[in-house]
Amino acid sequence: MSLDPTLAAKVGTLTPPSQDSAVRTIGRGLETAPILRQGLGVTWLFAAAGAAGRVVVPILIQQAIDRGIVDGQGGMEVRMDVIVQMALLGAVAVIVSGWAFRQASLRLGERSERALHDLRVRLIGHIHQLSLADHNDERRGGLVARVTSDIETLARFFQWGGLAWLVDGTLMVIVAGVMLAYDWVLALVAFAVAIPLLFVLRAVQSRLLVAYDRARANNGQSLGAIAELVSGGPTVRAYGAGETMAQQVEESVEITAASQIRAALIGAFLFPSGEVFSAFTVSAVVGVGVWRGPESGLTAGALVGFVFLTYRFLEPIAEFTEVLDTTQMAVAGLRRVLSVLDMPIGPPQPDNPIPLPVGKLQIDIREVTFAYRSRSDGEADAAVLKNIDVTIPPGQQVAMVGATGSGKTTLGRLIARLADPTFGEIDLGGVPLRRVDRSELRTRLIVVSQEPFLFDDTVAANIAFADERADQRDVERVVDDLGVRDWIDTLPHGLATSVGERGDQLSAGERQLVALLRAGLADPDILILDEATSSVDALTEVRIARALERLAASRTTIAIAHRLSTAARADRVLVLDHGRLVQDGHHDDLIAQDGPYRTLYDAWVSATTV
Amino acid sequence: MQPIDANTEGPAAPALGVLERTRRNARFIVEMVKVHPKLFAVAVSGAAVFALLTVASSFAIGRVIDRVILPRFDEDGVATSTVFTELGLVIGIGVLRAVAIVIRRSFASITMWRVAQTFTNRVVQRYVVQPVSWHNRRADGDLVQRAGVDAEATVSVLAPIPFASGTIVMLVASTVWMLLIDVPLGLVAVVVFPLVLSTNVVYEKSVSKHFTRAQDQLGEFSAGVHESFEGVQLVKSYGAEERETERLAGLADRVRGSRVQAVRLRSWFEALLDVIPSLTNILLVVIGALRVRSGDVTIGEFSSVIFLFTLLVFPLRLIGYTLSELPRSMAAWQRIRVVLDEPIEPDPAERIGVAADGLGVEFLGVSFAHEGDGPSTVKDVDLAVQRGSVTALVGPTGSGKSTLAQLAAGLIGPRSGEVRLAPGARSIVFQEAFLSSGTVRDNVELGTSYSDDEIWDALGQAAATEFVQRLPQQLDTVVGERGVSLSGGQRQRLALARALVRRPSLLVLDDTTSALDPGTEALILDRLRARLGGSTVLMVASRPSTIALADDVVFVADGRIAAHGTHDQLLATTSEYRELVEAFESDRDRNTDLPVDLARGPVGS
Repeated sequence: MSLDPTLAAKVGTLTPPSQDSAVRTIGRGLETAPILRQGLGVTWLFAAAGAAGRVVVPILIQQAIDRGIVDGQGGMEVRMDVIVQMALLGAVAVIVSGWAFRQASLRLGERSERALHDLRVRLIGHIHQLSLADHNDERRGGLVARVTSDIETLARFFQWGGLAWLVDGTLMVIVAGVMLAYDWVLALVAFAVAIPLLFVLRAVQSRLLVAYDRARANNGQSLGAIAELVSGGPTVRAYGAGETMAQQVEESVEITAASQIRAALIGAFLFPSGEVFSAFTVSAVVGVGVWRGPESGLTAGALVGFVFLTYRFLEPIAEFTEVLDTTQMAVAGLRRVLSVLDMPIGPPQPDNPIPLPVGKLQIDIREVTFAYRSRSDGEADAAVLKNIDVTIPPGQQVAMVGATGSGKTTLGRLIARLADPTFGEIDLGGVPLRRVDRSELRTRLIVVSQEPFLFDDTVAANIAFADERADQRDVERVVDDLGVRDWIDTLPHGLATSVGERGDQLSAGERQLVALLRAGLADPDILILDEATSSVDALTEVRIARALERLAASRTTIAIAHRLSTAARADRVLVLDHGRLVQDGHHDDLIAQDGPYRTLYDAWVSATTV
Repeated sequence: MQPIDANTEGPAAPALGVLERTRRNARFIVEMVKVHPKLFAVAVSGAAVFALLTVASSFAIGRVIDRVILPRFDEDGVATSTVFTELGLVIGIGVLRAVAIVIRRSFASITMWRVAQTFTNRVVQRYVVQPVSWHNRRADGDLVQRAGVDAEATVSVLAPIPFASGTIVMLVASTVWMLLIDVPLGLVAVVVFPLVLSTNVVYEKSVSKHFTRAQDQLGEFSAGVHESFEGVQLVKSYGAEERETERLAGLADRVRGSRVQAVRLRSWFEALLDVIPSLTNILLVVIGALRVRSGDVTIGEFSSVIFLFTLLVFPLRLIGYTLSELPRSMAAWQRIRVVLDEPIEPDPAERIGVAADGLGVEFLGVSFAHEGDGPSTVKDVDLAVQRGSVTALVGPTGSGKSTLAQLAAGLIGPRSGEVRLAPGARSIVFQEAFLSSGTVRDNVELGTSYSDDEIWDALGQAAATEFVQRLPQQLDTVVGERGVSLSGGQRQRLALARALVRRPSLLVLDDTTSALDPGTEALILDRLRARLGGSTVLMVASRPSTIALADDVVFVADGRIAAHGTHDQLLATTSEYRELVEAFESDRDRNTDLPVDLARGPVGS
């Protein structure tokens, strides 16, 4: 495997979003999910009682050898009464501790699952409330991962590691206690030989983690290469590039396999180191024990018991190291989860909302500047909107035009308060948007995206999304109001037709119709239309135009226009360029001026004539 | 898209007898092992040696007790040399055991990853040789999963198999050894081993059922979260944040419910698996004491039996785990097998004939259906396109114009009839430009080599010179997912350059120019006409500006060619064509996005 080491190190390192220490992160985690802390003491007591069961057998053997089998006259005498008595006692202890162990793992399991569920819900609620500025495409995958895979690292920890932390620590203390009680010198010998194991394991462990990270990163690249080969299928075939692409995939799969094997080889040395240490520790204990002999007060039974106890003492150390991996991943996952909860939520709900006036609403946009915040450090990007100042009187039909990146979509979002301006203010009916109650705003103003999002559900359910109180009759009514009954009738199951994932069972135009019906059901005063760029067949086009006309009638409409014909029909056209409002007026007037709109229009006319 | 799933004989089919299931599992394992039999053999040998050494280590502990500890404490003492010999034996066996573990684990992992690698490569090889028609019937995500995740899941059972087989050696050796020491003590082992083993198997099976369900529910939850975040603007627009959170909370709660059920079961079994060996050990102490009294065993032997039993608890548990992993691996394996076992479909490009003189594209009675027995989407089409002409394919959505384009490019083959082309290279450019995550050069070359001059020349024809020159490393700039992100129009121009650098005699544009503004579109077509000479251009057109650039128009309706002639001829003769164009004209820019940069005006104007 020939990888640039610095590059590999970069790929292999996870950059934590916050620099909180593990302890502090865990502390904050417990604060966030208080249910975990409740009754933790009792759980721990159960775990301790469960752990205690594991020293029953070594003690029994010691007792059997020292008290049950004694030197009698002319040979060995076995006192069965003592042995049976102790065995019964041991059996009871084992059963009780087994039950306690069960209680501990049940309590921890139930509580952790409840805590993780609560954490998921809190996280979802928080993410839904984040500003749209935090919801760009690059971030979406990350946000989904916070709720799913990051919480899963915690779930894995609770399933496999949480109990081990409770039991193993206690077990080591109990075993150490029994050892010290038998013979403190031997106990210290055992500790002295066994403790270095911790450091060995720790060292191997940290290398292992790096190797795992690298393997994971390489694996991601391999999957990416495969995905590319598959998604580019037609192109790859058309240009006969299959073998070249397959070659690239094979190379990246080779790198992945090599790094996975490397991680596995490091792992192969982790487990047996415990084995070697056990052998050495047992030998050291027996050696020292034999050297000191019965003169020191040590008994044969205690020494044999020590042999067993040594193994019991080392077991948890080995288990610990396996658990450490899951623990570190869980802490990293928790850290990422908390960092999302730390993100300030989007346009906050006002403390003392001012009700909007009844009737039609004027929109005042005053010196608005806006910059997205896409960096994780919270630094703002370059401004998307610069000093926009405009008033839209009630009932006006406005078209905003401009190239991709001109800021017209962003301005639409600000008017809908999907984000707040960085500077400046927008008033609705004389009330600052920041002071309007969110749910009231959502009933008065609706954004209709013409490349709309549809849930994997029926047409009716997608329309009814606008209003949770809407019933079938309301949906039927809006279908008639917007004059699209003829379309609904062409669907295989009418309104009950499933739209498929993201609505992919419908054509782009049909999805737009659903979005318009949805807005119709909401019946807002102000409509913000984000026009589509995708091509639509002629018949659907007619239906969309009809529905749109009925929907826009008697409402203030702001169209984020991708088509100049929309602009031509509007009462007023706002031309945006690189975040600035460069022209404002009626289509006819703007064409008469020598400006950007005119240039645009001329080019369009010459290019679109057959 | 239909997922390929011929997996009717599910791995967990309850109707199958135990024998048949075992046979199937064995076949599956043999199938994997025979990819790298030597590596696997080393791993199994390591495990077997480890198993024997485990028995030996308890034997050594027994000797230490009998020959060192008891003589020192109960009798006159012990020779120093004996102490060193016996402890040396303990250490020696311990070290050897560790070596055996390293060998077993290393080789088991190497086997596993190498087998996974082999499977991935085999599957990917299939993807490369199967034609577009095969790919069209399958979802991309599904194919990626089969090559990646499924290959990994298939082999995941391979790593614990050496250990599990070693454990069986260990059980047999331990039982024999215990019976040799003492028949009553050995009998306890004979009874308890199967008991622990079967408890484990029952446990793994019943718990994994809940975990599997939880996993499925987690999948649904994740999909729900993804959907909800993807539609977040809609959710916010309608103030539905709380409603959505509540809906997802319901999905999350189902995951929790299943997991809690698993936890309840697991907590019982875990406790049981802790208690059974401990109780057995206590029983062994009692029986052992009796046997010591009767003089049949020594204290050392009796201790070493108990010691051995302690060592066996963990390996016994791993067998249960391996068995529970088998169905999952088997399911993944079936999914891979479906891909590997499917016959390779013939390459449609090989069936393309030579067109008559003067013709660039010739269709003779061509029909096509996406499904083998499904309805035809192209019906008995006869078409002759003049060599060197630019022809637009026009028609309503779903009329079959893209299918005609793909037939002409040789990406899909006709069900009946014949496609004939003028000799020479063919290039096709799709509506969605595909860029691989390499450099500009890689993307233009895509599997072939061209000189810098040729590449720049092609970029020039595709009106891409200017933006490529502005890229940080020009031709060597990495683009795509891991590099500089390009706009739709820029991607499209690179895809065009890729097509043009091959100097094709037929250039098929499948609604390619819709991502370009009309000015650039016209510019590119002009350059094409000037340079291509005898090359034929066939382009799917969905907007008037594209039609305007063509010599001839082929009007497609319902899988047939309804009319073929110049735009003006069709306007005069074909009412449906007229209606379609009028629909465009009534709002003629309906499908036209604005030029990229307002300030600079449209490119090429």
